[in-house]
Amino acid sequence: MTSPAPRPVPRPDVYVHTQPFWTGARERKLLLQFCTDTGQFQHHPRPVSIHSGSRNLEWREVCGRGVIYACSILRVGRPDAAARLPLDIATIELEEGVRIIANIIDSPADSIRIDAAVVLAWDMLDDDMPYPAFKVVG
Amino acid sequence: MQQNIVIAGYAETPIALKTGRSAFDLAGEVFADLLAKTGLSPRDIDGLSATLPLSESGNVFLAAYMADALGLTPTWLNASGLGGCSAVGGVARAQSAIRDGACKIALVVSADAVSLSGPGHFGAYRAEFSEPQGVQTPAAAFGLLMSRYDHQYGLDPTALGKIAVTQREHACLNANALEKLRKPLTMEDYLKSRMIADPLRVLDCVMFCDGANAFLVMAESEARARGLSKMVLPTAYAEITNYAGDQSCPDITESGFWRIGPQVLAKAGLKPDAIDMFQPYDDFTIAVMMQMEAFGFCERGQGSAYVLATDLSHRGVLPLNTGGGQISAGQPGLAGGGLNLAEGVRQLFGEGEGRQIADPKTALVTGIGTIPYGRNWSTSAAMILEA
Repeated sequence: MTSPAPRPVPRPDVYVHTQPFWTGARERKLLLQFCTDTGQFQHHPRPVSIHSGSRNLEWREVCGRGVIYACSILRVGRPDAAARLPLDIATIELEEGVRIIANIIDSPADSIRIDAAVVLAWDMLDDDMPYPAFKVVG
Repeated sequence: MQQNIVIAGYAETPIALKTGRSAFDLAGEVFADLLAKTGLSPRDIDGLSATLPLSESGNVFLAAYMADALGLTPTWLNASGLGGCSAVGGVARAQSAIRDGACKIALVVSADAVSLSGPGHFGAYRAEFSEPQGVQTPAAAFGLLMSRYDHQYGLDPTALGKIAVTQREHACLNANALEKLRKPLTMEDYLKSRMIADPLRVLDCVMFCDGANAFLVMAESEARARGLSKMVLPTAYAEITNYAGDQSCPDITESGFWRIGPQVLAKAGLKPDAIDMFQPYDDFTIAVMMQMEAFGFCERGQGSAYVLATDLSHRGVLPLNTGGGQISAGQPGLAGGGLNLAEGVRQLFGEGEGRQIADPKTALVTGIGTIPYGRNWSTSAAMILEA
């Protein structure tokens, strides 16, 4: 029996402050950056709000419901992803008006299409670290 | 009166795989070739724009190292870090520098040797927010982009296939194209080629290679004084980076070319039908089609129908990437942005040999640089060349 390929947990706070995302994910909560000036979310995390340029950012939990905005099946990837191919990848548009790139898991192949309703699910990295993924609501 | 700043010389290496050579060595080859073609000495060149290549991406001093490698003492130095826009961006910046009096004759050189060095590492958000889910490659990003385009407008695979087949026909006529790609491709070959990231096929993609290209930029009067008779005038240039970067949910089928395409045509005073050849940056076939729409060769969303109805060969109404483009000549890493520029200059010099367009007056050349999170591409650049 072969052991699954490693999926190392990335180090947080390398390029900007991202620890809240990881602390939330540990509790299976999806926290994203929210601009308190404009009332808009953004993802990926940045040092300032892309909406206002200010640092008035906080981390808020999103509801985890959305639709598929774009989707593909990755069949060739870098070596660290090779063991998981083919891999369902998607851009999810969340109800809060922000997009996140994620894997689609636990969903029938023919259900994975643009505009399909999805809900937050959790994929596992090493060390039992949950990482946000989505599944089609069926 | 503003003086004309022209491209008065170009050189290009053959595109090759796994040469084992460095970007510096490849740059030396095009530099020596350019001196031989123009009769200039290294001491005549006082400006240098060096494209930042993936294969030397650890070296933040690349431009100064390039000056050293080539024996140049520039009074104007530019490290061009615009990815696939680095060559056209380098030429445009060289024009400005010459107008400002910072230098008189600038070398714009792009060289990269990625076929052994592999992809660069870009850091930032990627390790946390796109690598854990396996979305690491340009192909993954373009599979997503194509799916959205198809959803909004319909994407006919035979239209993308026609782009691939046409460019391959051109590569067969280009002695500098990668040898293994210099054999004809059929539509059936295209449609049967394996999926990489649905609906993206392998024949929609470029192959990472090694190669270099270089251009000499100077005032028209300087070129004439040196007895150089072949020159092209870049009459308009525009670029934009991080288009829609202030939005959380932009329409990703709209790129920066929607802003700069009409701008660059207006600057040159040209309508799309006055463009004699289209040499767009072609990392993937869909990018070619999206650019056709943005420059107004056809209506938005009508790319498939336009491609299928239009003769894109070097004898056609809109000759497309007449050297084969990066998709069929090979992509010499981040020197790839200079590939289609070199072909545009070559055609306007009348040196297109078996693929020469009849008496061309204008060329539209573009660049694309960097793939951002969940959109299309970061930098879009466009240059119009006139004979």
